[in-house]
Amino acid sequence: MKATGNREQGTEGLAALLRAAVPPVSEDTQPKRDLWPQMQARLHEDGGNAARLKAVPWFDWALAGGVALVAVAFPAVVPVLLYYL
Amino acid sequence: MNTHPYLRAFLAGVFVPTLVLPVLLCVFIVVRLVLREPFPIERGLIFPMAVVPALWGAWNMLHLSSNVRTHLSLGVHGAVLPFLLLPSGAALATSLGILQLGASGVNWFQACFVPYVLIVPVFLAVLAGYYLVWKYVVGFVNRTLGIA
Repeated sequence: MKATGNREQGTEGLAALLRAAVPPVSEDTQPKRDLWPQMQARLHEDGGNAARLKAVPWFDWALAGGVALVAVAFPAVVPVLLYYL
Repeated sequence: MNTHPYLRAFLAGVFVPTLVLPVLLCVFIVVRLVLREPFPIERGLIFPMAVVPALWGAWNMLHLSSNVRTHLSLGVHGAVLPFLLLPSGAALATSLGILQLGASGVNWFQACFVPYVLIVPVFLAVLAGYYLVWKYVVGFVNRTLGIA
């Protein structure tokens, strides 16, 4: 087989096989409709950070306060907490 | 995204402890290399740097596999983990010589004394912290990775 350019001998057949196996990409690769409004709706479906914070139950706020209180009241245990995290 | 859900669950679980690793590394550098304190802190690093992240990942995988039967919320499932971590961490620390069990409390690194009466509120705080972190942070990562 004759070498062509920089291509190694015997790879022409392989290239032809690959071209036959992979279907050609069509000209029209754009989506049929605008996807941005759907993405925007998904971003705003929760109503933003303020609504997300309002959705946190009071019990969880109390727990977070308790954790902060323990960390402030007993700073010596913070390295111990880090050991377990 | 339906492939490899357990791999994604493991990665989501490992996420939080991995964020803590640089903090631990900074503590190690400051304590041992800058301040040259004689605490054998490097002996204790194996637990938070190797065991804890792997356990978090495995725990999240367990939640993914068992949630269909148990219907346990992710926060409660995460809050159960300290019951496993506390004895295993204490056993490892004791065997490595960084934790001494005394009559009135425990001594960490021969420098940080924690009385037994303090262990109860601290453990409750750990439970609350784990509940919140698993509910909000791990839950968020699970949803982002499409496994929640």
